[in-house]
Amino acid sequence: MKHNVLWKAISLLVVAMFLLAACGPAATPAAPAIDVALRWRTRPDNQEEIKVYSDISVGLDTQLDGITLAYEPGGTEGANYQDQLRAEVAAGTAPDVFWIPGTDVADFATRGLILNIAPLAAKTDGFDVNAFYAGPMAHLTYNPEGAKSGADSGALWGLPRDVSTFALYLNLDLIKEAGAPDPRELAKAGKWDWNAFLDVAQKTRALGPDIYGYGASAWWGPYGTWLNAAGGGFFNADRTACALNTPESLAGLDFQRSLYADFDVATPYGEDPEPPFRAGKVAMFQNGRWATPGVRTVPFNWDVVELPNGPQGTPGNWLFWGAYVINAKTAHPEEAWKLVQALTTAETQGKVAALGANIPSRVSQQALDAFLTFTPPTNNQAFLNGIADAAKPTAEGPLWAGSWPEYDKVVGPAVQSVLTGGTSVADFGATICDEANKVFTK
Amino acid sequence: MKLIPQRFTEPNFLLRLLVIWRMVFAALAAGGILAAWLIAALPLWQQILITAALGLAGGFSLAAIPDIRRRNHRGRTISLFVDYLAFVASAVILLSVGNVFVGIDALGETFSRGIPALGVILLGYIITTTSEFSPRVNTIAPGANYLDIAGKWVMLAGAAYFLLAVQAPSGLLYFLTKILQPAGLLALVGVLVFGLGLWMMGNKPVANEMGSHAHNEQMLSGWLFLSPNLLGFLVFFAGPLLLSFYFSFTDSDAFNTPHFIGLANYARIINITFRPLSSATQLAKDLVDIKTYDEVGRLIFGNTGILFAAEDKFFWLALKNTLTFALFAVPLSVLPALLLANILNSKLPGMKFFRAVYFMPSIAAIVGISLVWQWLYNATVGFINYAITLGVDFWNNLFNAGLIDPRIQWVSDEKTALLAIIIIAAWQTMGFNTVLFLAGLQNIPGELYEAATVDGATPWHKFRFITIPLLAPSTFYVLTTTTISAMQIFEQVFILMNPPEGPNNATITLVLYLYRSGFQNFKQGYASAIAWILFIVIFGITLIQFKQQRKSGVYEN
Repeated sequence: MKHNVLWKAISLLVVAMFLLAACGPAATPAAPAIDVALRWRTRPDNQEEIKVYSDISVGLDTQLDGITLAYEPGGTEGANYQDQLRAEVAAGTAPDVFWIPGTDVADFATRGLILNIAPLAAKTDGFDVNAFYAGPMAHLTYNPEGAKSGADSGALWGLPRDVSTFALYLNLDLIKEAGAPDPRELAKAGKWDWNAFLDVAQKTRALGPDIYGYGASAWWGPYGTWLNAAGGGFFNADRTACALNTPESLAGLDFQRSLYADFDVATPYGEDPEPPFRAGKVAMFQNGRWATPGVRTVPFNWDVVELPNGPQGTPGNWLFWGAYVINAKTAHPEEAWKLVQALTTAETQGKVAALGANIPSRVSQQALDAFLTFTPPTNNQAFLNGIADAAKPTAEGPLWAGSWPEYDKVVGPAVQSVLTGGTSVADFGATICDEANKVFTK
Repeated sequence: MKLIPQRFTEPNFLLRLLVIWRMVFAALAAGGILAAWLIAALPLWQQILITAALGLAGGFSLAAIPDIRRRNHRGRTISLFVDYLAFVASAVILLSVGNVFVGIDALGETFSRGIPALGVILLGYIITTTSEFSPRVNTIAPGANYLDIAGKWVMLAGAAYFLLAVQAPSGLLYFLTKILQPAGLLALVGVLVFGLGLWMMGNKPVANEMGSHAHNEQMLSGWLFLSPNLLGFLVFFAGPLLLSFYFSFTDSDAFNTPHFIGLANYARIINITFRPLSSATQLAKDLVDIKTYDEVGRLIFGNTGILFAAEDKFFWLALKNTLTFALFAVPLSVLPALLLANILNSKLPGMKFFRAVYFMPSIAAIVGISLVWQWLYNATVGFINYAITLGVDFWNNLFNAGLIDPRIQWVSDEKTALLAIIIIAAWQTMGFNTVLFLAGLQNIPGELYEAATVDGATPWHKFRFITIPLLAPSTFYVLTTTTISAMQIFEQVFILMNPPEGPNNATITLVLYLYRSGFQNFKQGYASAIAWILFIVIFGITLIQFKQQRKSGVYEN
């Protein structure tokens, strides 16, 4: 009898073990009752960034009175950070504060998924939207009701975590071996334009059938720079219609097409150019500041140079950004706003920028001076030149009058077809806006 | 002295109580339906779901009353079913209110703290096991000995240690504080009341009073053991399936209350048009209303042709790619598997090793496989092109030929992108299909081959007239499942291609488009409609396969 009772007791305990072990963790985050617990998330690109953000979270936890922080590293871009986040937003389990790319802001805002923090910002002493780069803030303060941007628009959807821009990562060994001029010197002399770029690309390509002069990934960023530099762009001035069929846009696309088809200097469009660049087979690799940590391990001499100037005299670069926003369902909007501000101070941004992957989003000489010390690359100034007003960068941004993901879905494959020889530039120009404009009318 | 007076355990008394309980249950269900529509501000689909669930439960509850009164066993069965389902629902709500399911997310971390305690439990188990080799002392318990008892106490101590290590007391406290709220208390009452209902109807004297026979008890036990699986199927498969069917008639975006829009999603998908082209290069906007339609493709005959345009061109491109993929991937993963299985079925030494080797791609993580193939396919530094270059150089040097290195852009050229996916899928599925064919081959009696040998049959004749016909059931199964999987191609495309749609939408597939629509563009209603059309396509193809199989008559024979 006792025998059976013992077995039953053990069995019962085992069931209780699992049930109560599940209850345990829920009870564990024993924050003091007076503290407000906030969860926040951003998209790290690698393990080092996760550590930096975790350390920042620990630091802010002690710094922000009455707030207990829990940092949740989201998936990386490749691991679909956005998809997971959207699913959690839909399920009501998203963090209080999270990062989203600039192109997603309108979508999240118009669906009521993020808070308009303008009322909170208005009550905050010393807060100034002009402390950040104007491009991102124009989008982040856009009020769709009055179609107005700026500090007095009545809208503020978040604060930019950082900014970034494209540069050309140079394989200096290949360029030297080809006897091509140094792009950095050409840039300093003001002679770094499309012709000079093509000259370097052709000379390095001549080194062998498996050596390429130029490489860029297949997404809207790289092809957009050629369009911008030619004086064209994705949208009309108020971003309410497609402008891909303008003569300027088509000229930019045609030049890029010629790099692939006529001059055959580029790695095949659609192939990841990073592996061949790391293998020392690409002379100029177009990528953002985020690629720097990875490039630091390559076994050849390298540096960066700004993008070449197009026919309009500017490189047509992007000013990339993403923002910390506040979940519309947060129970603690005021504390979340404090956290957003703390995450975007010059000090916090400096800690992230020290990794080399980001540029601070605050317009501050101190922040820029600090950024220049984060070497290699030696020529960090190339990135700052890319976001300088003189270069007239185009701030990446959402489509308030339509759906950016759908626009991208239409345009990306069509551009790819041009760059891989499936469609002529003329045919592209004749049809693209008929299709792309539909995303504005919906 | 008994704790409960005997008259309260009398079957007739319990059955009278149960009749009242069934009435109360039906009234509560009706009240719940009214509350869902009149008091709580719930989305329409939730109101429909609650009405259906409570309506069925209340209806069955009422239906059971006459049978219980007539002591008909059907009443007992219905009563047990209804109370069991309500008991499970209450228990799930109770655990949910107690945040147990949230805790499960972090169970890995908590559980790891208790791992040393599991070692103590294991030690206790070993002591108990070794007791078999020590003398029995019947004075403790029949057949027991000191080691046996000691081992069990060690196990109990280990379990207690485990509970402490995983902070079970604070977990329990937390659980209790969480359930001390209206929803938790209601669920707790539900667990107790429905549990009592189950106990009353389940106890032996009541069962006898209701005319229960052995076969009734066996049937109920069978359903009880099946219930975890059945409930899982209903909740996690059939439920979402029906919900997605409802969503397909709405504009659901996952965030806001969905609105019923009838067949609009389906109408948009199937809104297509064909127009004759006056010349091969005529623009689509000259023929169709470009505000509604986009060109999907064109069939060219000489200098004329037919234009195919659709309101949602991506759906039709995805359908075309999916069908093309299935058309090539299925034969490429079935025919080589059949040949391979015949080779691996031989009794040569080392065959088990090769069986494992060919099966390995099927069990390898699909993400890892896709990433490896991404490197292999790289046009500039990939191994496949490197091997081709070596081959071309070798050929040119050997024969002084002028072969040109094709430098295939496997994933970035729209002409080869889908082929690249087909190769991976066929390579990955082939091993699994080989194992299925092997199982089929090993069921073919060897005597048939021996008889054929005696009759002078060649190996080809044996394969053609014995293996293929007798392998027909396996072939049918392999073909059907491989086709269904092929129609649902997603992971390889999603990971390998960048962007997943591939160059000029060459690799957009139906499931990929469904995913993009539902989880990236927030069009869950539209995505549901795509899912149902995909279901119809797969169902249609499978039905044709079944009919063909029946027509051949081989399966039945």
